[in-house]
Amino acid sequence: MKQLIFSFPIFLIVAICKGQMPEQLAPPLLKYKSVYFKKSANVELKFAQQGTQIYYTLNDQTPTVKDKLYRKPIQISKSFTTLKAMVAGEGFIPSEIVTATFIKDGLSIQSILQTPASERFQGSGPNTLIDNEGGLPAIGSKSWLGYQHDSVEIKVVMEGKQKLTSVLINCLQDHGSWVFLPEQIRVYQFDESKQLFELVGERLGHVNGNIPGAFCVPIQITLLKKITTSKIKIVIRGIKSLPEWHPGKGQQGWLFIDEVKLY
Amino acid sequence: MHRRNFIKNSSLLSAGILSRPDFLFKEDPLLGHGKKRYHLNTKWSKADVARNPVKDCHEMVQDSKGRIILLTNETKNNVLIYDKGGKLLGSWGSEYPGAHGLTLFNENGMDVLFICDNNRHQVIKTTLEGKVLLVLDYPKETGQYSKAEEYVPTETAIAPNGDIYVADGYGKDFIIRYDSTGRYISHFGGKGTESKHLSNAHGICVDQRNPQQPCLIVTSRQQNAFKRYTPDGIYIDTIPLPGAWVCRPVIKGDYLYAAVLQTNTQQGKQSGFVTILDKDLKVVSNLGGSEPQYVDHKLEEMYQTVKYFQYPHDVCVDDEENLYIAQWNSGKVYPYKLSPVI
Repeated sequence: MKQLIFSFPIFLIVAICKGQMPEQLAPPLLKYKSVYFKKSANVELKFAQQGTQIYYTLNDQTPTVKDKLYRKPIQISKSFTTLKAMVAGEGFIPSEIVTATFIKDGLSIQSILQTPASERFQGSGPNTLIDNEGGLPAIGSKSWLGYQHDSVEIKVVMEGKQKLTSVLINCLQDHGSWVFLPEQIRVYQFDESKQLFELVGERLGHVNGNIPGAFCVPIQITLLKKITTSKIKIVIRGIKSLPEWHPGKGQQGWLFIDEVKLY
Repeated sequence: MHRRNFIKNSSLLSAGILSRPDFLFKEDPLLGHGKKRYHLNTKWSKADVARNPVKDCHEMVQDSKGRIILLTNETKNNVLIYDKGGKLLGSWGSEYPGAHGLTLFNENGMDVLFICDNNRHQVIKTTLEGKVLLVLDYPKETGQYSKAEEYVPTETAIAPNGDIYVADGYGKDFIIRYDSTGRYISHFGGKGTESKHLSNAHGICVDQRNPQQPCLIVTSRQQNAFKRYTPDGIYIDTIPLPGAWVCRPVIKGDYLYAAVLQTNTQQGKQSGFVTILDKDLKVVSNLGGSEPQYVDHKLEEMYQTVKYFQYPHDVCVDDEENLYIAQWNSGKVYPYKLSPVI
């Protein structure tokens, strides 16, 4: 590894002097069943190219060749652990970084009912948002509910009354496929005495320019106060009009969600 | 190769000798696996970008005279004609803004081209000089289309008897069959959940490697697969290509070649490579991609390893087994050439 740290800058200098940049390695393949887990998640990293190594971190830091060398599947048991990994090898520019955040199961949910998703993106069925499956950043994976609606309503019934401090919605961002993060998420609790829903949390989002690629973005909404309830309602507003820089400017964007967690 | 040169370069630099830069990176990169390995030449095209620019380089074919023909959606010159050395011999075409699919067919001794235009919602048959011979409009005869915009043809394949198969890969994913005069015969495929259905039927070819049982191979790109059908459109089977957004199948000799636009896990990130399957439809080599591995006869997920390509869109195999790779959305880059390691 020392040799690699020493030799890579020299290689780069020589290559630039020659006016010919070396090629860049592609990132490793992240293999996991789901980012959601009850006890622990198992993650495999793959990259079959001689003379290369995979390096990774679990502390949210950008991995370098000084970080952990991948040798065997990684077990993750702490919630909200972010794995970041890259590939480096002699004679190549190191790869870009791949990342995935692993999320532990929340409070027990009895049932969920949401606005029907688009015919094309039905996930795994009515319980898609509570099946502990997903977190794969590809619109084709069968874990996503896809919407082209102004707003999506989700009603969650818990197993009895529970104390609640935050709500998590896992969303997909893939600008190339017209999939944008929500503009607004509102959380309501059901007030039994008044028999109506009361606003207990809100989070606003905005588009940060054109970002290539597809990513899972777990959005956490911390509630204004700790509540005790058996029923909540979540209202998600997707992007109404795609921004000026997008090829589909002015048209309605897509909203993709694959899991709801309560904490 | 890189590694060997790298060691050579490092020692030259540490000795303070930089006066012989020609020693550095002398060889082109070597790509692929097993018997299918190639040297990459990214500077094949000698075209002048000021005079003959390209946008997306969508597809390429070789004609009977050995020339390499490129189709681009740059309406300054939709068709560029090269020799195998990359010298530009000619160009034509300004009326194909959505130029996407290019197929060559030798019709009674004369080469003709079939162009699929995404924007015009048409298939256009031309001579090699660009004279229009036939135009196929949207296939209302199928009863599946109410207007032209629903039909976005991406590819054609021509059977030995001249029957034309059109893949509506960006429209409704039907394969529409016509006779050689353009008369509608039948259609099959389409979107749906059964095995016979398609999702992004981006390419099609006629596979005659088994003369007793010729078949059609159709791309189902979003499903990361090829699907085989009889010439009458009866579904036969699926060839899964996990992880690979595969473009059109191109058959030369015993092998099937295909550009992989990108991989599933790295969508929108220039993650393409080129894949090669043998006559048993097993992947034997990936150029710029992971070495194919079968576990219990099942192909493991494939991925890009080195960023030699951005978004490869088509492979053309010439009479000397060289490959030409046309790329989509890759900085208006001209095609690359790959020469086999013998």
